[in-house]
Amino acid sequence: MTTALSQGLTLAWRSLIPLKNHPGQLFGLLFQPVFMIVIFVYLFGGAAGGDRAGAVAYMLPGVLVQVALMSTITTGMNLATDIGNGVFDRFRTMPIARSAPLAGRILADLLTLLITIVMSMVVGYAVGFRVTTGPLSALAGLGLVLLLAMALSWGSAWIGLVAKSVTSMQGMATAVLLPLTFGSSAFVPATDMPGWLSWWMGVNPVSHLAGALRGLLTGGLHPSDVWITLGWTAALLVLFAPLALRAYNRRVR
Amino acid sequence: MPAGPDTLEDMKYAIEAEGLVKRYGDKSALDGVDLAARSGSVLGVLGPNGAGKTTAVRVLATLARPDAGRALVGGYDVTRQAAKVRELIGLTGQYASVDEKLTGTQNLLLIGRLLGLSRPAARARAKELLARFGLEEAADRAASGYSGGMRRRLDLAVSLVSRPRILFLDEPTTGLDPHARGELWDVVRELTADGVTVLLTTQYLEEADQLADDLLVIDRGRVAASGTPAELKALAGGHRLDVRPLRAADLEKAETILGAKAADGVVSVPVHDLSAPPALLRDLDDAGIVLAEHALRLPSLDDVFLTLTGDHR
Repeated sequence: MTTALSQGLTLAWRSLIPLKNHPGQLFGLLFQPVFMIVIFVYLFGGAAGGDRAGAVAYMLPGVLVQVALMSTITTGMNLATDIGNGVFDRFRTMPIARSAPLAGRILADLLTLLITIVMSMVVGYAVGFRVTTGPLSALAGLGLVLLLAMALSWGSAWIGLVAKSVTSMQGMATAVLLPLTFGSSAFVPATDMPGWLSWWMGVNPVSHLAGALRGLLTGGLHPSDVWITLGWTAALLVLFAPLALRAYNRRVR
Repeated sequence: MPAGPDTLEDMKYAIEAEGLVKRYGDKSALDGVDLAARSGSVLGVLGPNGAGKTTAVRVLATLARPDAGRALVGGYDVTRQAAKVRELIGLTGQYASVDEKLTGTQNLLLIGRLLGLSRPAARARAKELLARFGLEEAADRAASGYSGGMRRRLDLAVSLVSRPRILFLDEPTTGLDPHARGELWDVVRELTADGVTVLLTTQYLEEADQLADDLLVIDRGRVAASGTPAELKALAGGHRLDVRPLRAADLEKAETILGAKAADGVVSVPVHDLSAPPALLRDLDDAGIVLAEHALRLPSLDDVFLTLTGDHR
């Protein structure tokens, strides 16, 4: 078990090396959150009424959620890449724990996401965002985001393992994630929407995650948002972890 | 089933397979393949594209499960004792499986650490292999910037981190220029000098002739022939007579007289008795066939290949 763990850590290290080799890639990670903050806070937020501080407080949690969800695509993409270029076969001919490549991949992607979130918070602070609750509450919020991202990573891994190629993997994952993130209250409240959209935004788990994070960072938390998010996390894990493991074992055989 | 050998060197055969079958859908990639590689030797597996060479390697390297038959690698069953097999083998595939985002050193460190080497030991092993494969200068560059030959050398170096006693090389020189190919051949010779057993698939007859102690020709998932290169050459007959009729219309007549099919306008027949060719040429002359060329030559592995697989290359 300890060897499996150290192998998983070694493979996670391997996935983070490109960041170390090219620290410039950190800016690549930052591009999406900064872009989103500028668009939503300065462009749309400005057009909507000019309360910039209010817009930042509402948007930043949404941006963090969006960034976290989109980042889960990389898990499946990187797996599909490893399968496509033979690196995966190399691992399979080695005397290592069967689960190590998969576990290492997901761990590395969560660490990358953590780095992105921390940097996004720094950018948020630069444009006037402030945590108004407390450090523990804020950490709990970020932990909740990481937890749901981890659960979704299993789904991404599953798609990556059954997809025919990296590009088809990317297309499939984007098709799932875009309506989930934009059709939620991550960026706009559900109140002024037509009935069907408002209904969808109400049931969309991303709305609850964004709501929970917003509450934990800036107050006004509805505990139900946390419970619903945890429920979705558990459901996604129960669904996708076995699917991914089954697809993985099929590949590993 | 034996529980496993004491040492690999004591075994007669490092790789043994019987009746391997592997189907993909309704297509048989392997249709009952027997093979055996003597310990410390190079077994060359020859065959045209799609013959089943790569599938055979994947089964023996524990990457694919055979639908029937069994295979022992280092005395261990590839399906039931895959973990044991993996401790003994190295694999370099047709497509270099290195992480392109990592440098040469990092690729080697990764594998060393995964195999449980300490950090200093993994570093030392990486350095040693980089030197051996002439990759010291490129050691700290990302593998994405390597040439095809360098990438293949790194791939082979990565396969050797664990000091495998049995090495599978699946078309290791496909796509390499002659110089890079020669370098890779030298490495294979060094490895066999150290007692490593090598199973090498190739489409290049010259490569098989250069490296292999024993040969297996497979075609459409079946073994077409096996033996030493010399034995296989004998199979194709001693000398061969090649004739090219001047007029294409005479080709069919020439085929009938010589009793062989033409390929690319040339009819080639094995010659068992060196006094036969003049008589054959006279027969052609009597039939009024004018020859653009004719030649008597020693056989090459190409002829073996042609004879056995009917693959007109």
